[in-house]
Amino acid sequence: MNFLSVLFIFSMAVILGMPVRAAPIFAAALGENVDQQAGTLNLGVEGMMLLGTIVGLAVLVYTGSYLLAFLIAGLSAVLLGLFHGLVTITLKADQVVSGTAIWFIGWGLSGYIYTALFKTTEIVVKPVPDIYIPYLTNLPYIGKFLFGEDPVIYLLLIAGIGINFFLYHTKGGLNLRTVGEDPLVAEIMGVNPTLYRYAAIIFGGFMAGIGGAYLTISIVGAFEFDMTAGMGFIAVALVYFAKWKPYRLLLGSLAFGAVYVFYLTIESYLPSIPYQFFEMLPYIVTMVLILYVGSRAHAPAALAMPYIKEG
Amino acid sequence: MIAMKGIVKEFPGVLAVDHVDFELYPGEIHALLGENGAGKTTLMNVLYGIYKADSGETLINGKPVRINNAVDAQSNRIGMVHQHFSLIPAFTVAENLSIGLKDGGFILKEEYVGSKIKEAEDKYGIHIDVNRKVDDLSIGEQQRVEVLKLLFRGANTLILDEPTSALTPQEAENLFLSLKALKAEGKAIVVITHKLYEVMEIADRVTVLRKGRVVFKSMKAGVTSDILAEAMIGKGVELAKYKKEEVKAEGSLVIEKLMVIGERHDTLVNDATIRLNKGEIIGVAGVSGNGQKELVEALFGMRKISAGSITMGGKDITSSNVKARVMSGLGYIPEERKTKGVAISLSLSLNSVIHSHWGAPYLVNKMFNYTAIRKLAKQIISKFNVAAKSEAALAKNLSGGNLQKFIVGREMLNEPDYLIAVNPTSGLDIGATEYVRKELVDYRNRGKGVLLVSEDLDELLALSDQIVVMYRGSTSPSVNQKDFDRLKIGAMMLGEGFTR
Repeated sequence: MNFLSVLFIFSMAVILGMPVRAAPIFAAALGENVDQQAGTLNLGVEGMMLLGTIVGLAVLVYTGSYLLAFLIAGLSAVLLGLFHGLVTITLKADQVVSGTAIWFIGWGLSGYIYTALFKTTEIVVKPVPDIYIPYLTNLPYIGKFLFGEDPVIYLLLIAGIGINFFLYHTKGGLNLRTVGEDPLVAEIMGVNPTLYRYAAIIFGGFMAGIGGAYLTISIVGAFEFDMTAGMGFIAVALVYFAKWKPYRLLLGSLAFGAVYVFYLTIESYLPSIPYQFFEMLPYIVTMVLILYVGSRAHAPAALAMPYIKEG
Repeated sequence: MIAMKGIVKEFPGVLAVDHVDFELYPGEIHALLGENGAGKTTLMNVLYGIYKADSGETLINGKPVRINNAVDAQSNRIGMVHQHFSLIPAFTVAENLSIGLKDGGFILKEEYVGSKIKEAEDKYGIHIDVNRKVDDLSIGEQQRVEVLKLLFRGANTLILDEPTSALTPQEAENLFLSLKALKAEGKAIVVITHKLYEVMEIADRVTVLRKGRVVFKSMKAGVTSDILAEAMIGKGVELAKYKKEEVKAEGSLVIEKLMVIGERHDTLVNDATIRLNKGEIIGVAGVSGNGQKELVEALFGMRKISAGSITMGGKDITSSNVKARVMSGLGYIPEERKTKGVAISLSLSLNSVIHSHWGAPYLVNKMFNYTAIRKLAKQIISKFNVAAKSEAALAKNLSGGNLQKFIVGREMLNEPDYLIAVNPTSGLDIGATEYVRKELVDYRNRGKGVLLVSEDLDELLALSDQIVVMYRGSTSPSVNQKDFDRLKIGAMMLGEGFTR
């Protein structure tokens, strides 16, 4: 094998693996994006994803239904989201502190549930089957990439387009963004900030749960403790990088997908370098991206601020 | 017709509104006059549902109504423009107008808003570009958006709280024209104000509040401004005269051909030249948004200077930072009291050393000397009549007037050779306004230079030794006091004599 063919195989592998690796981050980041535009910073995404990983796996094992697995994984994370909402929206507590608590709760719960249900037996599941469209999927190079992914990926893509349209082209999206900019103005204009913030937090939780379930079911095929390994935080960072624009989230998630595939692939070619160095890559990329974006983006003005009425 | 009867509203320790009756008729402009703290805004906030009255009732066309929030007010077709606008700066005008809108479908359509705007433009002469971001609009334009927002929601009762406090004379004139057009349409309009001439100019009916009570109520016809002034503050006031002394002082602040380029590569300040001598007040006139703000920011060291120079007493400070400029004798009373004048959630003590905390006696061995800091704060409070519980009170608990007195005091006790004051009396009541103006003139009489940037032309005419007009970033040659002419300067503010 000469150098060029190695490079070719390597880049194909990166491209082919990209959407799958990008999906969980994209799902969680999309939820976080909506959350933040309503003014709620949810740092608990990591915990919500972790809960989603085990709930998705368990439901799949017991029911055999992928649909139920993703749905219930999403709903389980919604419960955590509602808790975050109760603490931060209704009781007006600090969102950073509450979000951190959510992270730990999700982290602890995921390990607990796994041990309680499966003891130490290793459970392995099959991923959601990829779709197959005759001819299109067989197209050279791009066929698999564009027409041969699993249905969840396409649904997430549709969700992304839908959310982008909702946020920037509908009244509901405008109202939601108003709540994130200035809840008092929203209230004066007849928009209920509490309602919108809860709705956003429910959506954010659901998407984080889906992202987690995707990780166990479609990527790893099994549960590991703390298996998200910071993916939830990367999702949060990605929202800043994307400047609260879902289409930029998509690009960002794909870039991260590429980073993951890149290090998984290159590891085996460079055994002399400790694999831990490659595992650091996504986090280093995150830092660089955030530095790049810096303070140039306009964050929702009321982000992470509880809405407390005066008078 | 709206009638408020026997309204009482008490805040802890203050009876803000004390058994007030207030009537509002369609097709009338009703001026609600009173000093700051007289209860005008509180009374209207009760009508608008922001506060709940402790007792009393509101009737609309004879029927009692309950208004508990802004949504109730809207459904009773009452709208209010607060002093602090309810706009989202990051959104466009169209977006701001569409927030919470029920009609026009689920999808955002700029054409829908655009066509409604066109209607308002034809009817009331209110025009605005819906695609611009609110952040980029002048205060006058933002106010137009606020008024449009209410009209959009079908308001037929409009309450405007101190609507001209941040407007230029021209903008205020435009607003009055629009209000008159709205009145002719049969809208009922309340203008909360403490400016007598506004009442004389636009009101049909006037109610004067003092310390929460109605002290005067009448149709405007036949009422003189003396009567109103007396009702408002309880004794006869004469229009203030400022005693200016001949001052002999050496030294000047020279701004020479200053250029400031904005983030979008637009020229914000263009070849501005001003010479401020000690013992002199130079007034900077201009319609807001003509580079005054940027000039001041560049002068104080908060904005990058692209070309030109600033020298102070012969010393070049063009590339000095804020601290160096303050240390070489520059003071600043910013327009934005709460955001730029003080650190709003810190105590008055800490706020008193904002421009002096870097040296003795306030900083000793790199540690704060709180005894000295507190002493300074106490001095400001007592010397400048700041109504505050103590020097430990937080800046955010002071009223606008007291906060301004505090800032003026802090800057003046720091004894800068040259003091910049931007709209120093905007939003203040008569008492505080007079106080601040008198202090500025006294400061000048002590041989200091004052650069007074103001949108209140009468203030500039009364206080300045010379006036420089700014138009599209450029400065006019200075006009001497003996040549002051309201109309001439007004024309310069609109661009006369400037080359383009």
